[in-house]
Amino acid sequence: MSNPAKEFGKIYDKHVEKIYRFVYLKVNSIETAQDLTSEVFLRGWESFKKKGKEIDNMSAFLYQIARNLVTDHYRTKAQAILVSTDSAPTIPDIGTSLEEMAMIHSDVDRIKAVLANIRDEYREVIVWYYLDEFSVPEIAKILNKSEEAVRVLIHRALKALKAELGEV
Amino acid sequence: MNDKELIGKIKELRSVKPSQDWVSFTKNRILTEEKFGYQEQDASVFSVFRYKLALAPLLGVFVVIGLFGFAQSTIPGDFFFSVKKMTETVQVGLTSIAEKPKVQLQLANRRLEELSRIAESNRTGNLAPAIEEFQASVAEAARDLAAMGNVTSSDQIVLKELIEESRKLSEGKERVESVLGTKIGDTGELETALGSLEKKTAEYLIEDLENRTLSEGYQEKLEEAKENFDAGDYQEALFKLWQIHNH
Repeated sequence: MSNPAKEFGKIYDKHVEKIYRFVYLKVNSIETAQDLTSEVFLRGWESFKKKGKEIDNMSAFLYQIARNLVTDHYRTKAQAILVSTDSAPTIPDIGTSLEEMAMIHSDVDRIKAVLANIRDEYREVIVWYYLDEFSVPEIAKILNKSEEAVRVLIHRALKALKAELGEV
Repeated sequence: MNDKELIGKIKELRSVKPSQDWVSFTKNRILTEEKFGYQEQDASVFSVFRYKLALAPLLGVFVVIGLFGFAQSTIPGDFFFSVKKMTETVQVGLTSIAEKPKVQLQLANRRLEELSRIAESNRTGNLAPAIEEFQASVAEAARDLAAMGNVTSSDQIVLKELIEESRKLSEGKERVESVLGTKIGDTGELETALGSLEKKTAEYLIEDLENRTLSEGYQEKLEEAKENFDAGDYQEALFKLWQIHNH
């Protein structure tokens, strides 16, 4: 590689928004999403320097790092005794402040809140298929599943989302 | 909601994006750290020291640039927010007198965006300083607006941009107040200064256009604008007058 930093810079530019969104829609906190996304690209850069062109699918590679980091993040949080405001539920309980209730008032906000709480693989395929516009074969590669399995997963994910929104 | 509608709503989540300041800062941090970090292949102690000493000043420059870059994503109450304020003060200082009110309004809108971010992320510790900063920026904008002298034809584009920024500010303020459930400041002084400027501008344009030969259509529009002016609706009068003036 003639200039790995420049090449990785292009990879960063291409993927940073998508990876950030992927992480944010799970953790629902700007600071946590920024921290985890930075870590994704730091680790991606480490691997890129060592393996470079050997990484067949950089997109899938970065998403895999992101998935692992989000899982680790929640594993660490589950062990913590104190609950910060970041991990507070976005669906407000009775007595939630006016600002939280106002934040949930729109359909899109409801979808955002529900997405953070549905099964990880359902949320992931919804993000990849509808937001990032990955094709079924691309998603199948990331998940190491058959294309048919991915189509079924997308269908079930949408159904689960509707059920959570109370739309079934 | 049917599937199509739900998918449409899901796609609206594409608006979830990181701040560009954070994106730039993070990219710089990741790639710069590695450029100037310790190289594992070179195990000699002395070469490590030489390497680091030689690059220290350059590293210092990058740290400062990185700090300024990072500071752009801070919000009132954050440790490095003062760095951001410093760069904004310099920006205002370099602006011409005619453009100063517009720049001040843009800064007030920036404070509003920060307030909006604070509301979204529930960072209640930053709320009070952010509201204070917003009120201060609005007061500055009002002062600069009031200080604007006589209106001339070359100010028209600046004035249009000013009114757009002011409209954006009013709408943004209403939105943030409805989310927070509380007033975040009084923009009465700003509105008075803007109203006065709109009136002066409309007077200037009416006088200018009355001295021109206009087509029948534009003459009618001018009469409508004068009626708006007499009724105190200076903004509406201005929009009509600009349509004729820019012909």
